Amino acid sequence: MPFITQTQRQSDYNLFPSTTPIVIDNGASYFRIGWAGENDPRLIFRNIVQRPRHKATGETVTIVGDHDPALLKYFDCTRSGPRSAFDSNVVYQFEIMEYILDFGFDRMGADGSQVDHPVLITECVCNPVQSRSKMAELLFETYGVPSVAFGVDAAFSYKYNQQLGVCDKDGLAICPGFSTTHVIPFVDGEPVYQGCCRTSVGGYHVTDYLKQLLSLKYPHHMTRMTWEKVEDLKMEHCYIAPDYASEARLFQKGTKEAEDKTRCWQLPWIPQPVEEPPSEDEIARKAAIKEKQGQRLREMAEAKRSSRINELENELHGLEFLLQQLENVEQNDIPSFLSKTGYVSKQEIESAHVKVTQSLRKAKGEPKAEQVDIEEKMDASTTEKYPLINIPDNMLSPEQLKEKKRQLFLKTTSEGRQRAKQKRFEEELERERQNQQDEEKRLENPELYLEQLRARHRELSEKVEQRKRLKTNGGNTNGNNNFSGGVGRGERLNAAQKERMRLLTTAAFDRGKGEDTFGARDEDWQLYKLMSKDNDDDDEGPDMDEAELARISSRLQDIDPTFVSRPEVGPFQPVVEIPKFRRLTQEDYQVVFGVERFRCPEILFHPNLVGIDQVGLDEMAGVSMKRLPSKGQDVEERLTSSILITGGSSLFPGMSERLEAGIRMIRPCGTPIRVVRASDPVLDAWHGAAAYAAALRFPEQTFSKMDYYEKGEDWLRRYQLRYTL
Amino acid sequence: MYDKYPKGQNRSRHWKHLKQILQAENYQNYPPDEPNYVNIGSPPSMHPCKRICDITGFEAPYFDPRTNLRYANADVFKLIRSLPNEYVQRYLALRNAAVVLK
Repeated sequence: MPFITQTQRQSDYNLFPSTTPIVIDNGASYFRIGWAGENDPRLIFRNIVQRPRHKATGETVTIVGDHDPALLKYFDCTRSGPRSAFDSNVVYQFEIMEYILDFGFDRMGADGSQVDHPVLITECVCNPVQSRSKMAELLFETYGVPSVAFGVDAAFSYKYNQQLGVCDKDGLAICPGFSTTHVIPFVDGEPVYQGCCRTSVGGYHVTDYLKQLLSLKYPHHMTRMTWEKVEDLKMEHCYIAPDYASEARLFQKGTKEAEDKTRCWQLPWIPQPVEEPPSEDEIARKAAIKEKQGQRLREMAEAKRSSRINELENELHGLEFLLQQLENVEQNDIPSFLSKTGYVSKQEIESAHVKVTQSLRKAKGEPKAEQVDIEEKMDASTTEKYPLINIPDNMLSPEQLKEKKRQLFLKTTSEGRQRAKQKRFEEELERERQNQQDEEKRLENPELYLEQLRARHRELSEKVEQRKRLKTNGGNTNGNNNFSGGVGRGERLNAAQKERMRLLTTAAFDRGKGEDTFGARDEDWQLYKLMSKDNDDDDEGPDMDEAELARISSRLQDIDPTFVSRPEVGPFQPVVEIPKFRRLTQEDYQVVFGVERFRCPEILFHPNLVGIDQVGLDEMAGVSMKRLPSKGQDVEERLTSSILITGGSSLFPGMSERLEAGIRMIRPCGTPIRVVRASDPVLDAWHGAAAYAAALRFPEQTFSKMDYYEKGEDWLRRYQLRYTL
Repeated sequence: MYDKYPKGQNRSRHWKHLKQILQAENYQNYPPDEPNYVNIGSPPSMHPCKRICDITGFEAPYFDPRTNLRYANADVFKLIRSLPNEYVQRYLALRNAAVVLK
């Protein structure tokens, strides 16, 4: 159904005499209004109202019916969703009804303050008196309508088709509507409401089901699936399978037929510009630039190194000169001579000299072996460096004790450093050896090696994932139980959780002294530190596993051309994750639905699928016939031989066949069953009502304002239309 | 807008929902064979409940006790066990079987 509905203002309102009734089909989905006796309603629009605020002026505007999305950008729609006057096929919000009627009458051309025409309006079956009386009040008081009549839309549709010859005088009207489904038997042309049956499933529930299913299957496209769009999809693609189980089996097997029946919705998608692999010139040019940059850097490093070497050599010369001078100077003059230069003693000068020679050697890049020699020489002299260590404590003075402590500390740290270096060296050797072994294995039997590696990778990734899942799920219970993080029955706690529970219960334990003194002392709050989840010790296992997993993945990536480092999606695509590590392709923007096509309308026949505990369409016919007060074999036969399907949700392909098969199952063998669809399931209710209102004897069926006030509510309750005039 | 609410209310009145309307109707005061809104409702189904997989829609002979979802085969089961809780509740809500905390 197109959403751009006809809502131009009609200009011929004044041409109609005031006896011509206005016919309104007040449905939960669409509102249709027009003149009696015409072929089509003048106006059709969705029966919803929106009240957004204008962004600039701040005033609230009322929009009736479906809107043009382009206009709505001037309004702030966050707090105004579409609102309907209906609560499951009964009107309860008369303020909204007033807006809608305002709009309807206005577009019909009414300009005066009163609508001077009798009005025929549709309602649901057995409408509660309150709703009916409020509607009458609204029409009489606010609009000044002279007389009003209420009728059932399905009945009008049946009568209209009876006039057309589609169905007989006795029959069954099955009307799947927007929010409910009705089955009404007709005997002698009049509906028998005692036999009527109503289930609370309708087109709205089918659309909602489809929307939920698609959003769950494609969560990242959820914003594109608005209710209107899904309704469009439903109307275009959904169908009713003649037998649900066998259709489902077709799809489960993945046969060619199932492939044909699967539809795919392509969302708009802009492919990312593909970077062409750079041509040869590009590569050469880039390589040359890199070369040049490298060269420049190397030159700079060279220059720095040579300047540093020069500096150091100068320093070295200076120090040597100083040493020579020192030897020439006499013993007494040493302190004064030394103070001029800034060094305190000869040893300092010597140590400075040694350091500078070392740095020079390093700068010149001589092999490390000499370094090691020097270090070893240093080690050999540790005992001389730390002379105080071996002397027992009681022979030393306090100052010397302090000195000894310091030397001990230095010695242990340097020994520790050496040990660490040794370990690293050994590990390196070990890794080298393992790599060599791996290489040998690979070279001798590449296939087997690859297989082993892949299997190991799979194992490890599963283990790691499972552990990760346990951590996040086991900590906050997976399952239907409390959301507050409690633990349900049958959940086993791991050690950390057990500890936490224990701490909590001991803290909360009421020792019977009356007052709870937790928190009075500061130490109590240490409890929370103990309980903190951050302090959980991770077991060593996962880290090792993860490290090995990473190593194996990198190996596989190097040698296996078909390796993809992520688990693959199953064949039936239950939940599609957006792969973040590879480029988005066209397939990611497609919404595929196959099973949903016939799964969603199935709820009309099996409301149990959505948790509504009522009978479906085929059984409803049986229930309705059972409820009929006047029993007799012929009546039932006559009813089943003229079954009319009307209403907006009856447009699914395959409904008639399915209904026929279903009713055949519950009727005795051989009864004549004929199922026909109304000539125009959507608009027939209005057509029937218009034809009815144009009849000569229509004014007898209406009631006026006087009647309404004099006769009271009880009379209104018993008011029913007679459909054969 | 003030002329719509002459009694001095300055906000829209609260309209009764269907359940409240039906309660106020007092259908038990009237003879039970007269059709009214409540007694034309359908009864529960006599046929056995159709069990389909919550996720794929195929026929589902199996049931997961931890999440209360129905599933069709082992692959679906693996998927169910890896779903976050939010999705599990949404699938259950489709069937009106989600846990609602009041």
